[in-house]
Amino acid sequence: MKKFFRSLLAKYMLIIVLALSIVQIAYLLIAILITGVADNIESSYTSDEMDYEQIEEDWHKDANRLKTEADISRNFDKWKDQYPDASMFWVDQGGTLRVATEERNDLPTEWTSSFTAKFIKDRYGENPFTVIAFVGEDDTDGFVVFEINRDVFQKPIQMAFNQYGSWLLIGTLFLVIFFIFISFLFFRGIRKRLLQLQEAMEIRDVDELPIQIDVKKQDEIGQLEQTFNQMVHELRKSRVREQEEEQLRRELIANLSHDLRTPLTKINAQTYKIAKQNVSDDAKQAIHALEASVEDIDKLIENLMSYTLLMASKYKLDRQEVDIVRFARERIATWYPVFEKEGFEINVELEPLHDSVWHVDPIWLGRVIDNLLQNVLRHANNGRYVELKTASINSYDAIVVRDRGSGMKDSSNQKGAGIGLSIVDMMVKGMQLDWEIQSSHDGTTIQIKKNIKDEK
Amino acid sequence: MFRVLYIEDESEIGSWVSDVLREKGYEVIWLTSGDKLNQYLSTVDIAILDIMLPGLDGFSIGKRLKRENADLPVIMLSARTAVEDKLEGLSFADDYVTKPFHPEELVARIEVMLRRFQKNHEVLHMQHLEVYPKEMRIIDKHKNEEIQLTGKQFYLFQYFLQHANQILTKEQLYEGIWGESYMEGDKTLMVHIRYLREKLEVNPAKPTIIETIRGIGYRVRA
Repeated sequence: MKKFFRSLLAKYMLIIVLALSIVQIAYLLIAILITGVADNIESSYTSDEMDYEQIEEDWHKDANRLKTEADISRNFDKWKDQYPDASMFWVDQGGTLRVATEERNDLPTEWTSSFTAKFIKDRYGENPFTVIAFVGEDDTDGFVVFEINRDVFQKPIQMAFNQYGSWLLIGTLFLVIFFIFISFLFFRGIRKRLLQLQEAMEIRDVDELPIQIDVKKQDEIGQLEQTFNQMVHELRKSRVREQEEEQLRRELIANLSHDLRTPLTKINAQTYKIAKQNVSDDAKQAIHALEASVEDIDKLIENLMSYTLLMASKYKLDRQEVDIVRFARERIATWYPVFEKEGFEINVELEPLHDSVWHVDPIWLGRVIDNLLQNVLRHANNGRYVELKTASINSYDAIVVRDRGSGMKDSSNQKGAGIGLSIVDMMVKGMQLDWEIQSSHDGTTIQIKKNIKDEK
Repeated sequence: MFRVLYIEDESEIGSWVSDVLREKGYEVIWLTSGDKLNQYLSTVDIAILDIMLPGLDGFSIGKRLKRENADLPVIMLSARTAVEDKLEGLSFADDYVTKPFHPEELVARIEVMLRRFQKNHEVLHMQHLEVYPKEMRIIDKHKNEEIQLTGKQFYLFQYFLQHANQILTKEQLYEGIWGESYMEGDKTLMVHIRYLREKLEVNPAKPTIIETIRGIGYRVRA
């Protein structure tokens, strides 16, 4: 029930009920007001005095009793006392206007029969209220006329209405406008809040999730806001859960790789100990092969780990502005001693590119270059040549890795290169770069390309 | 003799590394956890830490060591190879070596660290030169006289020694010595290297002390 009174529906109904009751109350108030005003308006006549039929009867009765002119004057004075607003006159047998209470310019002094007929016809049922009565019992002394403006007989209520009618109209008009205004305010309020809600729903936090809304009212919109907040809360919860899962997966893979590498290290330890003994050349070769295999397995574990994370899109990509020439130079600097030791010819040509600053993740790009150089070292070592250069070719800038090995098609030599290249593929595409392999029996050229048109 | 503090809980790996290091002439204190660390702290020259340890992990131990003595080189030696782990390790440690590793690699890195932290005061023999790292005295054995280096040459050679056997790009050298970012085409570094070679090399036209690695940078082997 409490909820109902907080709802917009309740508010709207309240406005309607209020409007209706205001009309009713206004009626009542007007009635009271007008009666109050009417009571205050002084009326000169009692209601008995204002009875037209009574006046007509009395006038005829009095006229019957008149005999002389003096009687008529006295009678007129008596009536004038009772009805000061009335006007009276006597027209005698000969048609002459004789006694009149006022000077009458609108009446002739001599009444012809046609004027008399016209007068009677004009006054019948019209304003002023007119009573014509014959004088005396035998109707031989002409007639007396009693006139009174019907307006003076108006009831006080009618007078009050005439006086204050326009105010009443203005009041009614005001009420109607007031109601429209209240309704307007009510709907404008709803509209404003809906728009604000829409705006608030579009705001995003740093983590790309919507933010909670401050719920101020408990009505329907308030409930909508609460539901929205609930949704945001659930979204956040699921995001946290997802991050926890991601963390767990990363931990799992990290632990797994750690647990795999520990025995590898132990193998290294034992082979080292064996190598320390006086062993035959065959045994030394075996130890060497063992060490090489340990290294291969190590790289495979590393790649497998990265591959799993990449496949699950859980490998964090953090792109930055990287000076690619400098980056490549520092990378090859760490690889140089390894190639040197293996007796490689190393050709480094790192010249500034059309645009040397690439928007890439240095860790990812490092892995890409490491994997490519690793492959050269492992699978193209018969060429004894490695080349790393930067080049602007037509519409793109590129990092080029070239070897003179026996090529990718010579698959017997390629075991283990696959996963490394898959990672290169995923990472290059993940950084919105392109890459291309050209491989023949004379060697392999790999280009990591950035389209010049891509920039900005 | 340098004292190496080595914390490793795997006995097979621990005994192997200890043996290797002792063979190379180091004194090794091998602990299987960080519990009894304190009594050795003041006497060691370098610390090598595994990460997955019973009790306190290697990260916590390393951070503590660095807090108490920032001049102690710390090398993390772990089978954890994830980028996150490396980044966390390198946030305080000076080097991060992943398992499996070659003992020679570890020894080389120890030497680099000792030199970088100027703990290694042994005389370096570089071809015709004898270098006393502590005083940075350089003796030309052929002429039997001391080579005097000025300002930037001195810092340049010191920087090379601290990063001995590493290939340094011109950007790294310039930024390491001048402390500002390298502008492409700047000849300052090349000029100073030429001066340095004129003083150090037997034949500056065919330098052997400061090697040029074409397309990459320079290297000094020690």
